[in-house]
Amino acid sequence: MKKRTLLLTLPAILLVFSILLSACGENIKSGEASEIEIKFPSIWVAKDSKAASFAQIVKDFNEQNQGKIKVVVEEIPDYGAYKDKIRTNITTGTTPDIFSFDNPADGEFYYKSGNLADLTPYLDEQWKSTFLDHAFDNAAYDGKVYSIPFEFGVTPVLYNTKLFKQAGITGFPKTYTELFAAYDKLKAAGIAPATQMTGGDGWVSMLWYSQLVSAIGGPDVYKHGLDDPAFVQAAEVLKKLFDYTTGDAVGLDNAGGHFLNQQTAVLLNGPWFIGRIKKEGIDHLYDSVEVAPAPVYEGGKGQAGQYIGFTQASLAVGKQKDKKKEEAIVKFLKYLTSPDNVKKISLDSGSLFVIKYDVTKDDNVERLQTEMKKGMEAAPYIIPHFRASVSPAVGAEFPQALSGLVLGKYTPEQFVEQLKQADSK
Amino acid sequence: MQRTTHFRTGAILFLLPALLLFAAYFIYPVGYVVVVSLMKWDGMSSPGFVGLRNYSALFHDEVFRISIRNNLIWACAEALIQVPLAIVVALLLARKPKGWKLLRTIYFFPHVISGIAITMMWGAIYNNERGLLNGFLRLVGLSGWEHNWLGGLGSAFPSVLVYGLLYIGYFMVIILADISSVSRSYYEAASIDGATRTQQDWHITLPLIKGTIATCVTLAMVNGLRQFEQVLLLTGGGPANSSSVLVLYLYKELQNFHYGTANALGTVLIVLGGLVILTVRRLFNAAKYDM
Repeated sequence: MKKRTLLLTLPAILLVFSILLSACGENIKSGEASEIEIKFPSIWVAKDSKAASFAQIVKDFNEQNQGKIKVVVEEIPDYGAYKDKIRTNITTGTTPDIFSFDNPADGEFYYKSGNLADLTPYLDEQWKSTFLDHAFDNAAYDGKVYSIPFEFGVTPVLYNTKLFKQAGITGFPKTYTELFAAYDKLKAAGIAPATQMTGGDGWVSMLWYSQLVSAIGGPDVYKHGLDDPAFVQAAEVLKKLFDYTTGDAVGLDNAGGHFLNQQTAVLLNGPWFIGRIKKEGIDHLYDSVEVAPAPVYEGGKGQAGQYIGFTQASLAVGKQKDKKKEEAIVKFLKYLTSPDNVKKISLDSGSLFVIKYDVTKDDNVERLQTEMKKGMEAAPYIIPHFRASVSPAVGAEFPQALSGLVLGKYTPEQFVEQLKQADSK
Repeated sequence: MQRTTHFRTGAILFLLPALLLFAAYFIYPVGYVVVVSLMKWDGMSSPGFVGLRNYSALFHDEVFRISIRNNLIWACAEALIQVPLAIVVALLLARKPKGWKLLRTIYFFPHVISGIAITMMWGAIYNNERGLLNGFLRLVGLSGWEHNWLGGLGSAFPSVLVYGLLYIGYFMVIILADISSVSRSYYEAASIDGATRTQQDWHITLPLIKGTIATCVTLAMVNGLRQFEQVLLLTGGGPANSSSVLVLYLYKELQNFHYGTANALGTVLIVLGGLVILTVRRLFNAAKYDM
């Protein structure tokens, strides 16, 4: 009996020992390795306009730090999947070494998780001076800086001058009255005036709503919350804008397709869309596209030339146990956000950034990007879009409430009420 | 006596790993879901106990009511339309008409293709401007019936639901396999007694495959309760949440950092799933058939 027990126990003991030995082996191995590996799940891959220059920067950094630091990019081209992954990682305490996020409203939740590294000690004056003023306004929580602002987004009007000419319109309308008159002309010429959408996150229509809310309620409109009457008034106008769009607007989740195929004449979108106009637009579309600020709402508190602007991407670091690794991550962050590298990405992709860089005559600066930059600099104020100014729940409810508004299920008042209810959960 | 004790110890030892895995990967997560459903938690900061407040909020929530309704319609449609269709086709194929093997493959083929690809294809079919469905309606002179199928309050959910019901191959194959195991002697005896094929199907085949039908109905109903990607990809639950389902609502609540509500929805789903299984078992008196 004893012999049998021993025979049964022996393999188990051997198994346990082998596991322990292999674990020790791993420890020895990792102790020997001096190279620090930084994992960076990234969306700036595949077809993203920043993919090529971003990959080159990572490659250059790895070459410069060969044998010491290695940045490993985990490619996640689907933004929804990326967001889900990051949230799950943070919730479960497996935050990636570096990651990016777009919506400052989400950032606040991430900061309070306690799973992000405090970057305050690394943010010396020299590094900070490379950023635009107020760049760090949304990056701090509890007096500590938890993210580095990176890409900046503005979303002016992009319009197709060729289609405007066909309808006998010169220049982009300055007021909403003029806008609707121009839209009537476009409609009469058989052209769908502007892209609107309620599918996905309702991005383009959310931007129109953002423009309307601040055009009616002024730059301080979000301080009053959803009780400000501007939200109801803006909903009324937004509903009217859906009379001047394509038949598939309710449910549409492709923000740029119609504009790229010259099926609509107007689109609200940001500088990252410039690359798509060039690559995916029909022949010579790029030459026909111009940039303009959104119209003024007569009687509203907003001013002419207002711009919607927001931090489009921030970089954050997962809390590290190893101080050396944390320093290595910050070294890479400083490299990535250095004016030279940011300039490379910006000139290559058309995207704007919160990091300052000099442009010389020899630089091939993108035309539409320059127009957007000029408009932004001339703007009396820059205000974030609606989704960045409300809770994630309100932002998520927006496309549903909007489709209800457009289809007549909700009045403008009920539309705002739906948003408020989402916030109260 | 000693032998019995040894046998018991051995049985326990052999079962222990499976029990541990079951506890770690099923009992613990389900228990955790229930516990978190009683919390107000954003997934990031510390949770706070709120009792049944998440459930109470859900039962006063219009989107929850719509989602439950849609899920129950979906579950019933699968059980009452998809499974009966599969039974009819399986009974017909069991008669082995010419080309039955090819037909069996054709019916099953959609299940080999990614569900996402099929959903995207139907998204293109339903497209308001360039879709095949509206194109077909125009072609046959019914342009008045053209519609934004996925963007209409009354049409979005039926559009998402209906096409899935056509894919009967999975249940058909299960039923067909069971029919083939029925002894031929029953049919021979019935033929001698003058029973027609329909009478044979009705009085011999169907009662003998009752257990498999019960399994198919259970699987179909549970499938109806856990629908997600079809709705997410085609309508995102819209317009105005009219095509929302429970799992999609749960997913959205997680995205909104409402982890307590999301887990309350998870608990409701688990309870609903359990109720469906019990109801189907009872209806089919399934215990007899070793479900």
